[in-house]
Amino acid sequence: MAISEQGKELRPGLWETVNERYPGSMITKTDLVPLAKLSKPLCEARLAFVSTAGVQPKGTLPFDTVHPVGDYSFRRVPSASKPADLEIHQLKYPTFGAKRDLNVIFPIERLRDLVTEKFIGSLTENFFSFIGYNMDPERLERNLAEEIAAAVEAENPDVALLAPA
Amino acid sequence: MSLAYLKTAIAEGDSEKLIRYVRLHFGDGNEARGAKEIDKAWIEALKPLLEIPPTDREFILQTLAEKDAATLAHLFFHLHFYFVGRSGEWIHDGNL
Repeated sequence: MAISEQGKELRPGLWETVNERYPGSMITKTDLVPLAKLSKPLCEARLAFVSTAGVQPKGTLPFDTVHPVGDYSFRRVPSASKPADLEIHQLKYPTFGAKRDLNVIFPIERLRDLVTEKFIGSLTENFFSFIGYNMDPERLERNLAEEIAAAVEAENPDVALLAPA
Repeated sequence: MSLAYLKTAIAEGDSEKLIRYVRLHFGDGNEARGAKEIDKAWIEALKPLLEIPPTDREFILQTLAEKDAATLAHLFFHLHFYFVGRSGEWIHDGNL
């Protein structure tokens, strides 16, 4: 729920409309794939980060925040990026905190800190980002999710951290 | 599914469901605010034309003639947000 710094709901009434606005938009899974067991200690593992925050390198094609049915593309975000080299393109969550410190929504520096502290072994060269406004869940699952999964796999991670915005 | 819901509404000619969806999209989930946003965009589109400045009608007509309906519809949504942005009153949490 979107809450302002003053603790007030930013969009009163939003949640009363969700079921009507997004009827059946939740993906129902009956063939759940069990989580894979980590093959090595986290302190030796290479971690990939996948986010719906709409974070992208400056200069890349902005996520399509105006399309009524959503955007089904993703961006690679080099894990060595400085926050100043990144920007957010999305309309659906408050960004006042993220504009002060991107790490609150896309913890790129905190993950690097964890590598420095040897809590995580290493990071994949790229992280992955897309926006969460996708009104065609079938396209989301069959296309975007598969494309991101293939891109993540190509980076040879041992573990993936998924974070909805 | 939401997309199927919209397609069904189109097939059934249920304009109320469709315009409600558009209002909710523009209003970030608040239908009344979305309706106001649509009005705001039209007001902002009207303002620059009142003095009848020269406009690039060749570009407009060429675009309408050459581009497909989906591209023009996408442009229409972009134009909504463009004029809303010009109003100086931005209700959305993020940016385009």
